[in-house]
Amino acid sequence: MAGPSTDGARAPGSTAESAPENAMVRNALRAGLLLVVITLVLVPFQSTYAVRVADSILIYVLLGIGLNIVVGYTGLLDLGFVAFYAVGAYTYALLASPQLGLHLPFLVILPIAVILGGLAGILLGFPVLRLRGDYLAIVTLGFGEIIRVLINNADTVTNGPRGVMRIDRIDVAGFTISRPIDFYWLLLVTVAIVAVIAFRLEKSILGKGWAAIREDQDAARGIGIDTTKAKLAAFAISAMIGSLAGVIFAAFQRFVSPESFSLQESILIVLIIVIGGVGNILGVFVGATVLLLLPEILRDYAELRMLLLGLLMAVLIVLRPQGLVPRSFGPDRLLAALRRR
Amino acid sequence: MTGIIIQQIFNALTIGAIYAMIALGYTMVYGVLRLINFVHGDLFMLGAYVALAGFVLLAPGGGLVWALAAALIAIAVFMVVGGVGVAIERTAYKPLRNSNRLAPMLSSLGLSLALQTAVQITMGPQPIAFQSLFPAIPLDFLGARITTVQIGIVVAALLLMVGLKLFIARSRLGVVVRAVSENRRTAQLLGVDVDKAISTIFFIGPGLGALGGVLFASYYGVMMPTMGIIIGLKAFTAAILGGIGSITGAVVGGFLLAFFEVFGTAMLPILTNGWLGTEYRDIFAFLMLILVLLFRPAGLFGEQTSEESMVMKRDF
Amino acid sequence: MKRSLLSLVGLAALVSTSLTPVMAEEVTIGAEAPLSGPQALFGVTWHNGIKMYFDEVNAKGGVNGKTFVLEQLDDKADPREGTLVAQKLCDDDNVKAAIGPFNSGVAQASLSIYGECGMPQLVFGSNPALTTQGFTHLFRPVANDFAQGGLPAKYAFETLKATKAAVIHDKQVFGQGVATIFTRDFEGFGGTVVSSSAVNPTDVDFTALITQLKSQSPEVIYLGAVMPQLALFAKQMKEQGLEAKLIVPDGGYTPDLAAQAGKDAAQGVVVSFQVPPMDASEPLKAFAAAYKAKFGEDVGPYSVYGYVIGQIAVEAVAKAASTEREDIIEALRTIKIDTAVGPIEFTETGDLKVAPVFLYAVDGDGFKLVASSE
Repeated sequence: MAGPSTDGARAPGSTAESAPENAMVRNALRAGLLLVVITLVLVPFQSTYAVRVADSILIYVLLGIGLNIVVGYTGLLDLGFVAFYAVGAYTYALLASPQLGLHLPFLVILPIAVILGGLAGILLGFPVLRLRGDYLAIVTLGFGEIIRVLINNADTVTNGPRGVMRIDRIDVAGFTISRPIDFYWLLLVTVAIVAVIAFRLEKSILGKGWAAIREDQDAARGIGIDTTKAKLAAFAISAMIGSLAGVIFAAFQRFVSPESFSLQESILIVLIIVIGGVGNILGVFVGATVLLLLPEILRDYAELRMLLLGLLMAVLIVLRPQGLVPRSFGPDRLLAALRRR
Repeated sequence: MTGIIIQQIFNALTIGAIYAMIALGYTMVYGVLRLINFVHGDLFMLGAYVALAGFVLLAPGGGLVWALAAALIAIAVFMVVGGVGVAIERTAYKPLRNSNRLAPMLSSLGLSLALQTAVQITMGPQPIAFQSLFPAIPLDFLGARITTVQIGIVVAALLLMVGLKLFIARSRLGVVVRAVSENRRTAQLLGVDVDKAISTIFFIGPGLGALGGVLFASYYGVMMPTMGIIIGLKAFTAAILGGIGSITGAVVGGFLLAFFEVFGTAMLPILTNGWLGTEYRDIFAFLMLILVLLFRPAGLFGEQTSEESMVMKRDF
Repeated sequence: MKRSLLSLVGLAALVSTSLTPVMAEEVTIGAEAPLSGPQALFGVTWHNGIKMYFDEVNAKGGVNGKTFVLEQLDDKADPREGTLVAQKLCDDDNVKAAIGPFNSGVAQASLSIYGECGMPQLVFGSNPALTTQGFTHLFRPVANDFAQGGLPAKYAFETLKATKAAVIHDKQVFGQGVATIFTRDFEGFGGTVVSSSAVNPTDVDFTALITQLKSQSPEVIYLGAVMPQLALFAKQMKEQGLEAKLIVPDGGYTPDLAAQAGKDAAQGVVVSFQVPPMDASEPLKAFAAAYKAKFGEDVGPYSVYGYVIGQIAVEAVAKAASTEREDIIEALRTIKIDTAVGPIEFTETGDLKVAPVFLYAVDGDGFKLVASSE
């Protein structure tokens, strides 16, 4: 309810004025950014395990950016986001594996998957247009479960619970993308592109419509925003990003099965954006890093792992209910702070 | 054929009674705090474990002593889990009362995970056999076979629900709770002790859920640390179906969801000539939910009049 | 092997007084399984079985001067986490062999990772497809679905003279796998499968399904699922008075079946298992008692298999020329070991050379052998 929420609607130029004046803060930010860049560059020199963890984080960053459009920008709680992830993963898996005997190239499947994802988003969007809050949450949750159960039950097409095996490697213009390190670069580029698109969208006229819906749906309708269109656009675009993440996931793991698309995954993605900071792309990066690194660090604690993870989650949210990176501190603010001397 | 129908109706009533008892906890908390309390399913689980501890401690013999012990244990379960509920509210939700609505929900998710794992570590992940609270005597009734446990569960659940309804409608504390769930800010301005109301809710809701857990364990004879996840989700669905925030709605939603599920299992293969099997039961149940919400976006008994009073304007 | 299972019981009691010799070389064996979440039951108790054997060996001072360390990692039954676990174990040069994954799906996702780093892998997933992909590092010391679904079909048709069976499974790789084999074989013999239904792996209430089954009056019900569903189903069948022979896969071979279903409801339930008869179930009970003494909780459905896999891993390391991963793979390829469940050898593809299956019926407090595949 409370909190600095109007930033979403503010013009990019004007944010510079409210940027931190303090030189120390600015230097800290610069140091932080430098650290991030160094980490990104150093990842390839680490063990394969570390690269694989980085890949996982980047896939969830992608998912987080996608879900953030619906949850963060438009203010609609979606607990079934994993459905779109599944649509993308299964599209790639079925069109590029021995399962159906199809082996289409990656660049052909990608647009198919993204379009299918978008259609699935609209399919979900229609029945939930009138719903709000937790009614929306439970219907989206149901949608996610329906997609998973359908995949699990349609044995003849999807091979049911056994999943689709031996999925093709990505082959683009003679380059094979198969090792974790190849995926690291692919994901890094994809995440960068998608993040820029999402950021531009947030600042676009459509993004302002979303912000208006988030703040007050009826007022938004009152000032002439086509809320139906804006909501459907949010669902479709976020679903496309989810589907894109699914395609890369399927090609990376080269095996997909329904158990990868459980409700827990949906909840994890929501957690990522909330712990990171709702409505903020920077927050998605932070949230995904925290929520995927923590379990890895705790992995050696076997059974205690989930206990610690759960408690840490609760403590984190109680201490920082706005997320680690507040909504007001978006990428524009970061850039502005860095630019000022 | 009538035997089958009666049998199925009783099957649904038993499951529905358990769903309804847990749905009550969701709906009460939601009514006051607008919070999906994910930890509720795990408090349901905790109830069964506390009851088991009680039986081990008291080791009651048979007959009257046993009945007395069972009653004592039921009260103890209510008190202990109710206390845990209040403690959770104080530590994990109260600091977040004025932040966005997603924060307490996620805090409850974290606690849910922690509670499950804690029980798993201390009690082991195995399902544990649980002796029934009521002696199970099968009764043949118009071609159906019903056990006394099933009847006991339905009766116990109905009694508790009527009791809750009376408490909310008649008692002084009930008035306070109603005032707070109507409008927290106004109630506060009028001098109503909001904290007291919220504590009451967090005592009764989990307490009822925990008793639901005991009924569940004595019906199925088994309990395990993860038993709260799915049941909690179903009960939440039931609460939404009935209209979250409404006590009548939670009860009706619980029974309705159970009927959808039983119908899905029993009739789907027959109606679709085997094309859709029992594995589509949950899809059927969710589609029915979506159908209901399409026509009544605030559930069956939710406030339909003003969309605005349903939820706060800005969710997060 | 009756002796070996009994001796492990005696030894387990001694474990508390560990006498590790000073100069022992430590060999780390990685083990992955779901240790948290809904499937933690299987993973934790399965790992405990491995731990039990490792502790016994270490208490004796190890084998050939080598003691064993079990590095347990949780994969939450999630294929994605499984790939991370596999890579972590691969990258760690101290890890000489890997036990797991427990689930077929997780196994499929991480097979190639283990393969690329040449890690000897003892997998538990029972999907027959796992061993048909040409991996040479892979061994499966457990029968695949073919063996477990076939014998019950034969028993139902030939011994029970049943012609009508109802098949139910939990729509998971294992449950559906064994149920499909049962259906195929039972229909192959000339029997009729009157209905085939699926339940959710998280379901606890089967009353609606059982009521429908009553009207179909099957003579045999085959339930491809795991505990505690097997016990719940048996209990609810009894409560509704559905008279049919219930046949279930190996998860039911545990005292929990009777404990959770109730002794009455469990009577006569037929369970397939890979352990040959051990004069009723005394050794099994003794194993359960030793397990309980060590871990303070009841024995899990797959603890015995965990113990056996521990035996195989230790024997392979003892037999290998060095502790290099490739040498351990070589040792596994030619291993011949008398385990707690009988002699074990692997085929070219890494499956069991002989995968005997035995059918037991619950009888009183124990199990009674009713049929075997030999």
